[in-house]
Amino acid sequence: MSRRRQTIFSVLAIGLAVMILMTSQAIMVGFTQEFYAKTVDKMPHVTIEPKPDEDYIHLYRNVVENIKGIDGVVGVSPVLAGQATFDYKDFSKNVIMQGILVNDHDSVLHINEGITEGSFRDLEVTHNSVVLGDKLSDKLDVKIGDYVDASFPEANPATLKVVGIYNSGTPQDETLAFTSLSMAQDFFDEPNVVNSIMVRVDNPDNAGVISHKIDSMGYPASSWRETNPEIMQTITLESMSNDIILGLVIVIASFGIVSTLFMVVMEKSKEIGMLMAMGASRRSIQKIFILESGILGLIGAVVGVVAGIIISLSWGSYTFDTGGEAYAGVSTIPFIVRAQDAILIIIFTFLVNLIAGIYPARRASKLDPVEAISGE
Amino acid sequence: MSDEKIIQIRNLTKIYENGVEIRAIDNVDMDIETGEFLAIVGPSGSGKSTLLHQIALLDTPTSGTILLKGEDTTKMSDKQRSRMRNEELGFIFQYHHLLPDFNALENVMIPLLIKGIRRSEAKKVALQLLEEVGLIDRADHRTNQLSGGQNQRVAIARALVNRPSIVIGDEPTGNLDTKNSDSIYELLRHLNREHKQTFILVTHDLSMAAKTDRIITLVDGKIAEDSRNVSPT
Ligand SMILES: Nc1ncnc2c1ncn2[C@@H]1O[C@H](COP(=O)(O)OP(=O)(O)OP(=O)(O)O)[C@@H](O)[C@H]1O
Ligand SMILES: [Mg+2]
Repeated sequence: MSRRRQTIFSVLAIGLAVMILMTSQAIMVGFTQEFYAKTVDKMPHVTIEPKPDEDYIHLYRNVVENIKGIDGVVGVSPVLAGQATFDYKDFSKNVIMQGILVNDHDSVLHINEGITEGSFRDLEVTHNSVVLGDKLSDKLDVKIGDYVDASFPEANPATLKVVGIYNSGTPQDETLAFTSLSMAQDFFDEPNVVNSIMVRVDNPDNAGVISHKIDSMGYPASSWRETNPEIMQTITLESMSNDIILGLVIVIASFGIVSTLFMVVMEKSKEIGMLMAMGASRRSIQKIFILESGILGLIGAVVGVVAGIIISLSWGSYTFDTGGEAYAGVSTIPFIVRAQDAILIIIFTFLVNLIAGIYPARRASKLDPVEAISGE
Repeated sequence: MSDEKIIQIRNLTKIYENGVEIRAIDNVDMDIETGEFLAIVGPSGSGKSTLLHQIALLDTPTSGTILLKGEDTTKMSDKQRSRMRNEELGFIFQYHHLLPDFNALENVMIPLLIKGIRRSEAKKVALQLLEEVGLIDRADHRTNQLSGGQNQRVAIARALVNRPSIVIGDEPTGNLDTKNSDSIYELLRHLNREHKQTFILVTHDLSMAAKTDRIITLVDGKIAEDSRNVSPT
C-alpha cells in the first residue's frame, strides 16, 4: 500500500514539474508572440532605400506601383524624412520630420490607431500642418491648434499648425513629427523624391522573401529582421534558459520514480527472481522496468500537460501592472497552448524516464533466481 | 520406457567460495532417461538443492557440463537458458512461491505469457491445468485464500503448464502433512505416466522415495548410491 502511495506521489511530482513547464511554456510563447506582434507591427516589414550612390529615390511613384504588384504586399508608403528644428515660444527641439501620404502610411504602420488627439487626415486637408509624438508635444508644451516654427539649415522655414498628437508606445514619440509628403518636399526643397519606401506584408515571416524580390527588382530593400537583428535574439535566449531550467526540474522529478522503482525491485526481488526461474530472460526483466519507468513518466507527463493546459486556458491571459509604461507595449500576455509544446514535453519526459529507468532495471536483472526460491 | 538420455551430467562441480571453499557438488556424473521418476535423497547439506539448481539452469556450475536433450547448457546464452527454463523445465519448491498480487489462474498463466502465448489462449490452457490438479473452482483465489496443499497444487499447475519435458521438485511436499503429501505424490505420479514427463524429486521422506523408479543418494556432494527400485507403485 505504501509503495502504491509512493508511486502515485512520484508520478504526481513529475506531473507537477510538467504542469509548471507547460504553463510557463504557454506564457513564454504568449509573450513571444505578443512581443513579436506588438514590435513587428510597429515597424515597416520591408524598407527600401536609395541606391548606394544616391541620396534619394527618384520616380518613386513607379517604384510604389511596382511593389504594390508583388504578392503578399498589403501596404506601400513613400516617405521623405529628415532633421528639423521645431521652435515654440521658448522651447526648441530637434525632431525627425517625416513626410507621408496619410492613407499609404496608415496601410503600412496603422498610424491612425495611435492618434490620441486630432487626426492624421488633417495633414492633407490643412496646409502646413503637423502631427507630433505625444512626448514631443509635452516637451514643446504645444496643444492642438498651436503653431510651431520649423527650420533647418538649407531648408525652407515654415510655420506648422499642430493638428494631431500621436502615441506609438515607442521612444520615437519623443522625436517624430509627421507632415504631408508635399509639405516635407517643400521644406527640404526636394520636389518629387523620397528617401525611403516602407512596405507592409501580410505575413511578417515572409518579409525576407519579399525583400529579396524587391532587391532583385533593383531597389535596395531590407526586411525588419535585417534592420532589427537583436529583436528575436533576446527572446530566444531567454525562453531557452527558461526551458533548460524547467527541463532540469523534470529530470529531478524523475529521480522520484527511480527511487520508487528501486523500492519495487527490493520488495519484489523474490517475485522478480521467480519470473526469471519461470523463463523470463534478464533482458526482458530489464525491459519491464525501463518501460515501467517510462510509462510512469508518461502518465505524469500527460497529467501535467493536461493540468497545464487547463490552467493556461482557464487563466486565459496574464495582465501585469506595468506602472504606466508597458514593456514594448506588452502589458497583457495571453497563455498560448501549442500542440507541438505539449507533444515535445511529453516525449521529453517519457525519454528522461526511460533513461532513468535503466538503473533500477539493471539492478533487477542482476537478481539471483536461486535467492528467490531459497527460504519462504 | 525409452532409454533416450534426456539429462547427461559430466564432471559437474559447484564450489561456493566465501572465506572457506565448499564443494557442494563434487565431480558428479549422472544420466537420466526420458520419463524416469527419480528421487534424490541424502543428509542435509549434501548438495541436493545445489544439484537441482544446476540442472534447472537457475545457477551455473563451477565446472563440468549438463546436457539437456543433447544440448550443452553451459554454452548457452542467457536468452537460450531462459527459453529452456520456460519451455523444457518445470519447478516445484518446498514453498509455493506464487506471486501474491495475482490469483491462482493468473499465476498459472505466467509461464505461458512469458512464452508469448496470447492471453485468451493462455487462460484456456491454465484453466485446463487447474482442472488437472483439481482446483478449477479456486481459479480466482489468491494465495492467502488457499490452504498450503492447495497453493502447492497451484504451483504444480504452474510448473507443468508449458508441458515441460523435465519436472524438478525440491522437497515439494516437505511443507505438507502426510495426507496432503500423499495426494500430491499421487498427482505427480499420475502426470508422469500420463505425459511421459521426467521427474526429479528431492525428498527427505523415505517412504515417498521408495515409491519412485530410482533413488540417488548424495553424500558430501558425491553420489553415494544409485539404485533402481524394482517395485515402484
Ligand atoms: N549460496 C551459497 N553460498 C555458500 N554456500 C552454499 C550456498 N548454497 C549452499 N551452500 C552450501 O553448499 C552445501 C550444499 O547445500 P545444499 O543446499 O545443496 O544442501 P541440501 O542437500 O539441499 O540440504 P538440505 O537437505 O538441508 O536442503 C552446503 O554446505 C551449503 O552450506
Ligand atoms: Mg535443499
